[in-house]
Amino acid sequence: MPDVGSATRHRVWVTFLVTPPLAVMAVFVVYPILSAFSYAFFSWHGLSREAFVGLENFVDLFTKPHYAQPIMRAFGHNLIVLAALLVVQNGGGFLLAWFLYREPFGFRFHRVAVFLPVILSSVIVAFLWKLLLHPNFGAVNGALNAAGLGNLALPWLGDSRTALAALIFANAWHWIGFPTLVFLAGMQRIPREVLESAELDGASQIQVLRRIVWPLAAPSATVTFTLLFIGAFNWFELPYLMTGLEGSPFGSTDVLGLVFYRLAFGNQSASVQDFGHGSALATLLFLFMAAVATAATIRLRRREIAL
Amino acid sequence: MTRWLARPADLASAGMVQLVLILNSALMLYPIVIMVFAAFKPTAEIFARPFAPPDFSNTDNFVRIVEEANFLRYLGNSILVTGVSVALILVLGTMAAYAIARYRFALATPIFLVFLAGLMLPLKLAIIPLFVQMNGLGLIDSRLSLILIYVAMGLPSTVFIMTGFLRTLPGELEDAARIDGASEPRIMWSIMLPLCKPPLVIAGIHNAVPVWNDFFFPLIFIQSDARKTLPQGLTAFIGEYATDWGMLFAGLTIAALPITLVYIVLSRQFIAGMTQGVAK
Amino acid sequence: MIAITRRLSIVAAAAVALVGGLSGIASAQTELTFWTWRQEDRAVYQMFFQAFEKANPGIKVRFEGFEPANYQTILSTALAGGRGPDVMQVRAYGNLESIAKPGYLMALDKANAPETANFPDSALAAESLRADGKVYALPFASQTMLVVYNTELFAKHGVTPPGSWDELVALCKALKAKGVTPFANGTATAWQNETIVQALLSSLLGKGFEADLLSGKADFTDPRFVGALTKLNELKDYFAPNFSGIDHASSQQLFAAGSAAMFAGGSFEVAAFQKQNPRLKLGVFASPPAKAGEPPLVAVFYDGGYAVNARTEKKEAALKLVRWLGTPEFGTMLSGTLQNVSPIKGVRAEAPAVQQVMKLNESAMSYLMLVHFRYQEPSGSVLLQAGVQKMLAGQTTPAEVGAEITKGIATYYAPFKK
Repeated sequence: MPDVGSATRHRVWVTFLVTPPLAVMAVFVVYPILSAFSYAFFSWHGLSREAFVGLENFVDLFTKPHYAQPIMRAFGHNLIVLAALLVVQNGGGFLLAWFLYREPFGFRFHRVAVFLPVILSSVIVAFLWKLLLHPNFGAVNGALNAAGLGNLALPWLGDSRTALAALIFANAWHWIGFPTLVFLAGMQRIPREVLESAELDGASQIQVLRRIVWPLAAPSATVTFTLLFIGAFNWFELPYLMTGLEGSPFGSTDVLGLVFYRLAFGNQSASVQDFGHGSALATLLFLFMAAVATAATIRLRRREIAL
Repeated sequence: MTRWLARPADLASAGMVQLVLILNSALMLYPIVIMVFAAFKPTAEIFARPFAPPDFSNTDNFVRIVEEANFLRYLGNSILVTGVSVALILVLGTMAAYAIARYRFALATPIFLVFLAGLMLPLKLAIIPLFVQMNGLGLIDSRLSLILIYVAMGLPSTVFIMTGFLRTLPGELEDAARIDGASEPRIMWSIMLPLCKPPLVIAGIHNAVPVWNDFFFPLIFIQSDARKTLPQGLTAFIGEYATDWGMLFAGLTIAALPITLVYIVLSRQFIAGMTQGVAK
Repeated sequence: MIAITRRLSIVAAAAVALVGGLSGIASAQTELTFWTWRQEDRAVYQMFFQAFEKANPGIKVRFEGFEPANYQTILSTALAGGRGPDVMQVRAYGNLESIAKPGYLMALDKANAPETANFPDSALAAESLRADGKVYALPFASQTMLVVYNTELFAKHGVTPPGSWDELVALCKALKAKGVTPFANGTATAWQNETIVQALLSSLLGKGFEADLLSGKADFTDPRFVGALTKLNELKDYFAPNFSGIDHASSQQLFAAGSAAMFAGGSFEVAAFQKQNPRLKLGVFASPPAKAGEPPLVAVFYDGGYAVNARTEKKEAALKLVRWLGTPEFGTMLSGTLQNVSPIKGVRAEAPAVQQVMKLNESAMSYLMLVHFRYQEPSGSVLLQAGVQKMLAGQTTPAEVGAEITKGIATYYAPFKK
C-alpha cells in the first residue's frame, strides 16, 4: 500500500471525513439491529412485548419440532442453493468472462446484454419466469414439446423435485452478469505477457484457464464467493415472489429468509406473528453468516497472497 | 486490444465462443422482450397468447396507468428518493473511504470492519425499531425516512468499493501537492476525486438499482398515496383476488426504463470502472 | 434586506399557525383516514364515502389501500408506532386477535354502537376477542366455500349441478370426455389447497364433525375426515392439466376464459371472475353430499370488519363512520356494488349470483381451520394446506395428512390432549 498521510497531522480533517458516515450507520443500522436482537430475549404476542424470557426463544428453535423441522430443512435448502449457484452462477460467470475477455466479434454487445438482467427488479424477474415456466403456456415447455421432448415438460414450479432447481435457475439468470463482470475485471489485470508466452509455449485453452487465469483471478473469486454466500443465506425475494411464503410445494423451496419472515410477520392467510422467535432466528442467522464470511474471506485472502 | 487467436484450431473454439455468447445474450434478452410485449396486452391476452407479439398500437395499459394510478407522481417520488439517496451515498461513502484509504490511523481498520459488517445485515430484521425511530423523528410518511434508510444501507458497499479503488492510487500526487502547501480538502477535491469517476459510477449504479427497485421499505414507511414510490404504487394492481397483469407489466416496463437507459448510457464507464481495480 | 425577509417569514409562520389553530378550534373539517387491503375496491369505497359525507357534513374520509399480503404487517407496525389510521378494515378470528389483544382497537357495544344489534351472533363472535368477549369490529362480509360453475358450458354439454358425490364424478368424466377441463383448480398456491377441501367436502364432513372437533370427541384422524380427503384425491384427474404448477391467478384465468367448467373456491371469486370476463355466465352449487337427497353443506366464515383506532383523536367522527358502516343501507350498497354477502340482517341482494350464495348459506358449517384453528402456532390452516398439497402430488396418504394435522394442533388444543 502506497505511503499515505499520517492522520495525526490531519486529525480534524479525518474526523470530519469519518464522522457523518459513521453517525448514519450508528443511528440507522447499528442501533436498530441491536434493538431487534434484544427483542429475541422477550416473549411476544403479535406486536406486543411481554415477559423477559432469556434464552428460551433460542432454545425453542432447536428443540421444539414445530420450529426445528422447518429451520433444519430450510438450512439444507440454503446449502443446496449456495452449492448450485456457486457452480452455475459464479462458475458460469467465470466462463462467460473468459469468453468476453478474448474480445470476439460483438463482445461489446454481449457485455452489455449479460448485465442487463441484473438491473431489473426481482418483481419483474419473478413474474417473467413464472410465465416462462408455466406448465401449459410457458416457453420452456413449449420448446421442449416442439423438440419432441414432451415427457420432460414438467410443472417446474409445482413439482417438489424441480421447484428449487427452477428458482435457482431464475436466480442465476438474474444475477450471472455480476460475477461475469467482476471476473472480467480481474482477468484484465493479468499481465498480457504471461498469457501470450503460455500460448506460444503451446498450452491449450483449458490449460491456460486452469493454470494461469484461475489462480490469478483469485481476488475476484474471493469477492464473488463472499457476496454469493451472503446472498444465498439471505435469499428471500425470488422464492417469496415465485413460489410463495410457505416454500410451496409443501416446503420444498423453503429457505431461512422465508422462515424468518413467517415467524416475524406471519403469513397472511394462516400463521401467527411471533417476533420473539423471529428475532432469535435472525440473530442466529447473522452470527452464522458473519462467522463463515469472515473465516472464508481470511482464508481466501491468504490464498490470494500465496498465489 | 489485439486479438491473439492466431492458430487454426482456435477457429473451432472461436465458433463455440460465438455460439455460447449469442445463446447467452438471447437468453438474457428474450424474457425482457416478453415483458415489453405484455405491456401492450390486456390481461386475458397475456395468458391466452403470452409469447405472440402484441398490437403495438394498443397503449391502453399505459394510458390507464397514468390516468387511474397516479403514476407520474409515483415516478417523480422514485426519481427524487433514488437521486437524493445515491448522491448522499456517494458523498458520505467516499468521505469515509478516503479517510480509510489515504490516511494511517489506528481506528482505520475497525471502522472499515464496521462498514463491512453492515454488508451482511439484512436491515429488514430491524423494521420495528426503525419504525419506532422514524416515528420519534416525525418522519413516518415522509420520503426523508426512505432516504435515510437507503443511505444507511448503501454506505457499506460504497465504502468497500471506493476504499478498494482509492488504495491503488500512488501517494506521489498528494506529496507533491502537500509540499506546494495545498490543504487536505483541496487535495482531495482537485486531485484525487477527479480520478475516481469509474468507481463512482460503479458504486452509483450498484446502489441506484436496488433503491429504485425496492418495495419493502416504502410499504411500511409511506402511508399516503401521494408519496408512494413506483414499485410500491405498482403493487396496487395486486388486488386481493384479482391481479391486473396487463397494467402491472406496463408499469414494470416503465419502471425499468429509466434505470435501463442510465445503465446503457453509462455502461462504457461502468465497465471501465470495473476493470480499474475496483474488484480487488 | 435579511432583516426584512426574516420579519416576513416570522409573520408568515405566525399566520400559518393562526390559521391552523383556528381551523382546529372551529373544526370545520374533520378528515378521517380509512385503511384497507381491498385495493381493487377503491373507486367503490370512494363512492360510499361520498354518500357518508353527504349525510355527515364536516367529515371527510380518505381512502388508503395496501397490498393484501403485507397489510397485516403494515397495519400492526403502524399501530405499534402509534401512527395508525382512524378507521380500519381488519380481518377476523386469529388475525383480529393480533390487533385487538394489544389494545389498539376500540371496543364496540350497545352503548357506543347500537348497530351491533344488526348482526347475528356468529358474525359478532368472529370479530370479538376470546379473552374478554367484547366486539372490536363490525363485520362487513361473509364468504362461502362452494363450487362456481359456468352455466353455459354446463348447458352446452348437457350436465347439471350434482346432487351427490357420485353424480359429481360422473359429470367430471363426461366433461373430460368432451375435451373440457372439469375443474380449473391448481395446487401451486398454498391457500388454494385449503379452499378446495371445504368447497368440495363440507357435506361429507358434516356439522356433526365440527361439533365433535370442538368437544374433543373427534380429531383429524376421524374416518369422516380421512374418508373425505380420500374422495378429494379421486378428483385430481379432473383438475387443470399439470395442476401442481397452476397457481391461483392461472386457475382464475382458466375459468374466466371459459376453458374450464368449474372452480372450487370461495364466493369472493365471483366478483373477480365477472371483472375479468363480464360476459361470463356463472352459478354456484354446494359441495355434494354422499347420497342424493341429503342436505348439501357449504362452509362459511366472516371475512373481516371495520374497526376504530382506540387512540384516534377523532373518536366521535370515527365512531360515526363505523356505525354508518353497520347500517342496512350501507349493507345493501355493499352487496349491490361489490357482490359481497353482507351479514347485516335484512339486507337483500340484487345480483342473482349473490342471492344464490345467500340461499346456500342457510345450510352451512364453519370454514374450520380459519375459524377455529388459526389462533396459535402451528396453525391448522398451514398444516392442512401443506398436507393436502402433498397428498394431491401423490406423496402422502389421507391418513398421514390427518395424523400430521392432529399432531400439530394437539400441541396447544386442549380437547385433543387426551
